[in-house]
Amino acid sequence: MSEQNLFEAPAGWLKSAVDALLSDGVEVVAPVGAEDGTVDLAPVSSSGAITLEYLNVNQPLKRLFFPQTEVLIEFERQDDGDIDVKSQSAPPEEEMVVFGCRPCDTAALDVLDKVFAWDYDDLRYRERRERATIVAFACTGPDPQCFCVPVGGSPHGSQGSDVLVFTRDDGSALLEVNTPKGEKLMERLGAVARPAQPDSGLPDVPDIHTGFDPEKIKLWLDDNFENEFWAGASLMCVGCGSCTYLCPTCHCFDIVDEGIWNRGERRRNWDSCSFGQFTAHASGHNPRPDQAARYRQRVMHKFKYFPERFGLVACVGCGRCLRACGVGQNLVSVLHDIEKT
Amino acid sequence: MDEDLVPQTVRVEAIRQETPDVRSLRLVFEDPEFGREFSFQPGQFCLISVYGVGEAVFCISSPPAWKDFIEVSVKEAGKVTAAIHDLDVGDRVGFRGPYGNSFPYETMQGRTIVFVGGGIGLAPLRPLIWQTLSDRAKFKDIHIIYGARTVKDIVYKEELAEWQKRDDVKLVKTVDPGGEDETWDGEVGLVPSVLEEVNPPADSLLVTCGPPVMIKFTYVSANKLGFKPSDVITTLEMKMKCGVGLCGRCNIGSRYVCTDGPVFNFEEILSLPDEF
Repeated sequence: MSEQNLFEAPAGWLKSAVDALLSDGVEVVAPVGAEDGTVDLAPVSSSGAITLEYLNVNQPLKRLFFPQTEVLIEFERQDDGDIDVKSQSAPPEEEMVVFGCRPCDTAALDVLDKVFAWDYDDLRYRERRERATIVAFACTGPDPQCFCVPVGGSPHGSQGSDVLVFTRDDGSALLEVNTPKGEKLMERLGAVARPAQPDSGLPDVPDIHTGFDPEKIKLWLDDNFENEFWAGASLMCVGCGSCTYLCPTCHCFDIVDEGIWNRGERRRNWDSCSFGQFTAHASGHNPRPDQAARYRQRVMHKFKYFPERFGLVACVGCGRCLRACGVGQNLVSVLHDIEKT
Repeated sequence: MDEDLVPQTVRVEAIRQETPDVRSLRLVFEDPEFGREFSFQPGQFCLISVYGVGEAVFCISSPPAWKDFIEVSVKEAGKVTAAIHDLDVGDRVGFRGPYGNSFPYETMQGRTIVFVGGGIGLAPLRPLIWQTLSDRAKFKDIHIIYGARTVKDIVYKEELAEWQKRDDVKLVKTVDPGGEDETWDGEVGLVPSVLEEVNPPADSLLVTCGPPVMIKFTYVSANKLGFKPSDVITTLEMKMKCGVGLCGRCNIGSRYVCTDGPVFNFEEILSLPDEF
């Protein structure tokens, strides 16, 4: 990588960049508002559709690489009674540029990259990752539910992004290039941004007010698989699975066949450790028979099992699980309680 | 190995009804080249799928030396196993595998081996038993203790009879109290108690599989007989979807049963949380 990794872009740069990429035939995914006020990453056909008014996108970045549902195979019963099976073709190879995700979501890609390649090299995930260049937007106004700092991140974290954008109030921006993919994108964008002056300082990092120590929490988890704490900590949880679906690092999935009488498809769908059926054996035996065991798995997986296995906490502090929970189950409160015991 | 969770197609070549609710299927790969190159080790598992119904995990119950086909033994318990029981000879099903680790065959050699099986739990031991018998000179004594709930629930009846006839195998079969009938010529009693009566030397290697409760009490009995935890080996079963360390449901603590297992010794099992 070259020495120059900071670029200066004038107000209106995003429109120019998106239009240039679209006219080159590149798929552009960017934040788009919905009628209900939520903002999500979606493919755009013009820069006009893009909004910049959001704390974070509603659904996590993971869905671009590990979609909520995808077809693995298609099958059809032939006239002679035999089954004809077709493997669903690999994801498209065209380039994709993703604008507007936050540093917590890009940090989560580090977790997913480890899972989808540690033993089995998941072709679908890898191909989608390879074709994507990620242009994240640094956070300017985290909310009280944000807690990226205690889990090792930052509102300005560059982990997982190819380019990190610091937007100023006047619409101009500093673009920090972090990877060869990011460099390639800057070359392609040409005049949209020019090398920044050496004295172009980055803006101050906004404060995150939540704090806890994941190492201290892990020490407690190491000794407390069996503890009444879990029954109390999970009392409110109704097992709806929202926290897992919206979690940018959760990656559990189901494989199911869906079909009508003569044809159908096998799909990979997001699944959740909050569901009782998740681990239920056909015999009726269930190793995680109640919500306490399932909630314990969720906390243990993120703060003990994953660090033991892959060397990092499987939580990026995006706060979606806190905001989305219908009954106010609060992971940070649970972690604070653990820290206090 | 596949990278895209897409199954190979296998054709059901033969079906054997083992018990009222267990069937063994003999499966042949439709792609002859894949079939020729296919290899596995005893203890490894596969996923069999009935298109339109779904996939489920089974151990490969035939030994690697039986070429040109593999076998799985399936107890009817849920949706997919019911659909497998509905299959006819000639039907096509999906196959993924082999996945998982295998029994530590190299380190077993030179020792007395005690196989302890219960019910359908003999299925994963069967390829290992046949492999051991084909290398018979490499082992000291070979014990097989096999139990089923009732006489009707005994699997692989012909093979058990064949092993029982051999001079170089000490086989004891048993049924749970109340499971015997007038023809029964074996023991009556639970597998762990029968193991204690057989009383194999404590420096043997014990390999067991059966219902979870039987495995737990077999370990208690082996422990009483003086076996080291690392000399008691079992193969665990958990609900699995991917089989390859991704889908996130078969873990016990930080260990994935699908990729770190399914074969574990009790030294490893005792270090895991009690969640299986």
